[in-house]
Amino acid sequence: MSESTAASEAPLRPGRRKAKAASAAARRSESATDELGRRAVELSRFYGGKIETVPKVPVRSLHDFSLWYSPGVAEVSRAIHREPDLSFELTGRWNTVAIVTDGSRVLGLGDIGPVAALPVMEGKALLFKFLGGVNAVPVPIRVASPDQLMSTVEALAPAFGGINLEDIASPKCFGILEELSKRLEIPVWHDDQLGTAAATVAGLLNALALTHRTVRESRTVLLGAGAANIATARLLLALGHDPHRLSLVDHKGILDAERHDVDELMLRNPWKYRLALKTNGGGRSGDLAAALDGADVLVAASTPTPGAVRPEHVRAMAKDPIVFALANPDPEIWPDEARAAGAAIVATGRSDFSNQVNNSLVFPAVFRGVLDARARSIPDEIVLAAARELARGAERRGLSAHHILPTMEEPEVFPEVAAAVGDAAVRLGIARHRLSHDEFLERARTLMGRSARLVRALARSGLTSPMPRAPSSRRRAA
Amino acid sequence: MTPDESAAAPDATPAKPPTAPIHLRPAREADIPTIVPLLLRLKRLNEEFDPLLKVREDAEAQARQVLRQQIADPKAVVLAAEGIGPDIGKVVGYVRAIVRERPFYAPDFEGVILDIYLLPLYRRRGVGEFLLQEVSAALKAKGAGIVTAEFPAQNEIAGRFYTKRGFRPVTAIQARSL
Repeated sequence: MSESTAASEAPLRPGRRKAKAASAAARRSESATDELGRRAVELSRFYGGKIETVPKVPVRSLHDFSLWYSPGVAEVSRAIHREPDLSFELTGRWNTVAIVTDGSRVLGLGDIGPVAALPVMEGKALLFKFLGGVNAVPVPIRVASPDQLMSTVEALAPAFGGINLEDIASPKCFGILEELSKRLEIPVWHDDQLGTAAATVAGLLNALALTHRTVRESRTVLLGAGAANIATARLLLALGHDPHRLSLVDHKGILDAERHDVDELMLRNPWKYRLALKTNGGGRSGDLAAALDGADVLVAASTPTPGAVRPEHVRAMAKDPIVFALANPDPEIWPDEARAAGAAIVATGRSDFSNQVNNSLVFPAVFRGVLDARARSIPDEIVLAAARELARGAERRGLSAHHILPTMEEPEVFPEVAAAVGDAAVRLGIARHRLSHDEFLERARTLMGRSARLVRALARSGLTSPMPRAPSSRRRAA
Repeated sequence: MTPDESAAAPDATPAKPPTAPIHLRPAREADIPTIVPLLLRLKRLNEEFDPLLKVREDAEAQARQVLRQQIADPKAVVLAAEGIGPDIGKVVGYVRAIVRERPFYAPDFEGVILDIYLLPLYRRRGVGEFLLQEVSAALKAKGAGIVTAEFPAQNEIAGRFYTKRGFRPVTAIQARSL
């Protein structure tokens, strides 16, 4: 494993050329992103959105309606009325989640509101179905306060087996997730916190192993103290990371217990406040450079500001540092730049570089697992179980500096993660369905595999129209 | 009573008996440079609760002057909390209170807690409880028959701190801009 690390470092000595290549990559990615955007609008118009509901039962003739609907269905309702948990067996509730957003922090677009968030939630629903075999319903809601959001979700809960909160601004997202997890008897997840944190931790576990480090002994810097890194910090501490070797850094510098804004945080962002007290800056105060001096790990998940991390920052880190630059679309530092400055392992949020820290590696499998276990909630132990299994998944194919996480092309990992999640729910005593590991695995494989077959079958039969080609003028330009 | 004369209670839980990881003593003139930043932190926290508690541009100079005067004033109590262990000798919190006459009510004198501030790492360790007991005793020794505390009406943390310890709202102060 150290061999592959060394191999990946070898060709990276000529730093200047690489830095130039990085800015070229930035320009390339910009024009590619523009083209993808135009194409997405065209196709969204052509297909009129991305998802639809499809009956899953035969309709041999209209007479069957008396089974699927009135009068037959009344008996199904009576049964559920007598025993509400039967809703998980007699309806699709067991496999249906709501994707709830208030549109307050959509991608990097900010507070664009619920309607504009709809295409993103549709896309998420597509990923849920395709990757996880989960029926997901986009539910962007117009609400005036976190309380209203929570009472709305509570009111919606009877229709769903789980709730995926999406693109809700920090810090209100923390309180909303905590409170809804308490109030609801179905699993609640906020992907911007937990999905990103789980993928990050999975990648870190392998990166640490590759560089002969342990969580306990590492000095880690988290740049950005939003949804993802607050959750990542919590998970790292749960894994035994020494709080005094963990520094959170935001645009005001290292978050320590005596920073001038700490009382304001106590009122406005108690989650960040608690980390300020617990880590106390990892024993440091000052700016990012002060935090990174001698650090083993940097996880940057900040508001996208290209150049937020500079090569000299990486050079000041410990030998063979680990650098995760997760801002999208432009990472805080380009991978080539980071490697030229000595980074042994680099990860980003992008699919066009190796080591993509990608929520899609996590949320479909986590929901597959908690839905199959019919879990009551998703405690951090489950998030960590998913992260560990994801890390093992990458390990099975062989770890290297360029392979610390499975890619989306390694779908065999996802049912394993789902099964690990199901096992964890059983172990924690929050599973209503206590299946064995093999049962969870088999079920996940079947349900996750079915969606891809379904999509292919629809395309083959012509029920899904073939994708129209881009206008030829643009094809030449691109 | 001005907005400046407000106290926010630290986020503390009762501990009995108080086992405060601090050393409490009367503040001296030499403490002023270390107490001023703490006082300003408290006033800026108060500002978070209400725009009518906006901290003045010259608050720092004011703080120095008020502290100098009250440290010398026999009718005022200013206590400095020093840390222990690695923070030994460092002022990590303070209390400021005055004795005020009540011309129409009995008892004749009230001890008014204006400020209690503790750095975050010293909160939730019973220190606030200890400070309250100590300042109450000092005010009683100066003739106060009751003890009151002033803090922003919206500061629920302070409100809970005091009501848990037997305080209740007595006088309400409402404000509007002119």
